[in-house]
Amino acid sequence: MIKYIVAALALGGIVGYLNNNWGNITAGNFVSDYLFNVSLLLLLFIMGVSFGMDKESMAKMKRLGFRILVFPFAVALGSILGGLVGGLILGINVTASMAVSAGYGWYTLAGPLTGQLFGAEWGAVGFTVNFLRELVTIITISLTVKIDKYAPIALGGATTMDTTLPMIVRYCGSDTLITAFSSGFTLSIMAPFTITTIATLI
Amino acid sequence: MDLIKLVVLLVAGILVGYFLRNQKRINFSKVTFGIIIVLMFSLGFTIGSNNELLNSLPRVGLNAVVILLLAMMFSVLFVKLVRRSVNIE
Repeated sequence: MIKYIVAALALGGIVGYLNNNWGNITAGNFVSDYLFNVSLLLLLFIMGVSFGMDKESMAKMKRLGFRILVFPFAVALGSILGGLVGGLILGINVTASMAVSAGYGWYTLAGPLTGQLFGAEWGAVGFTVNFLRELVTIITISLTVKIDKYAPIALGGATTMDTTLPMIVRYCGSDTLITAFSSGFTLSIMAPFTITTIATLI
Repeated sequence: MDLIKLVVLLVAGILVGYFLRNQKRINFSKVTFGIIIVLMFSLGFTIGSNNELLNSLPRVGLNAVVILLLAMMFSVLFVKLVRRSVNIE
């Protein structure tokens, strides 16, 4: 399955690049807005139906209850600590490297925001780190799920409420749907706040 | 993408599924696979047409890779730790 995913991603990348740089043959917005949104919303609905019909998953979710809220905070702390350690090892601006990793994979937010706060060079790093986080989560999911059932949710960060969610549900099991979605949702709300907080306080 | 739209569709799906829970289970995996392929294609397309992102990639190199790897490592580690401490199977 994963090879089809990678092929679809790569093909999309090439077509998008060509379309963008040699005149818009198809309206790019059609694919990146319409097709993207419709397929994502459709997937969320179907995954919801499948989850609602599954008595076992529903029962498991009820048992977990509010404990699932520990996930986004663990991911946020882990990401920021990773940025801190990385900044120290590389001998670069530690505040900036922490802010970059507090994008939790949301590159369209973290890129422009870190660029604004720390300059264009850091904007490029913010873009790359968070974009690669999304990409690596998708491509390595069949391996990382073996480390820990919830490892892909940790890796996906803020993206586990949209782009990486369908893959997570497929590989980690239908019962992880709410855990993954709520973790991504919480991290998406936290990302702009943690980035700016790190930038202004530290 | 509005966060709200995603939440509404997900909750609507769960409610529909909940009311159908005593029906014979449907296997959605072929349908979802097809839609995932469409989603991944359009994700790739969005990335490929983002010139600002593509220009950033080669300029940052090692710094980005190190920060990314450490952020991912510590995220997994912390999730493993809290999972054990609050007892999540």
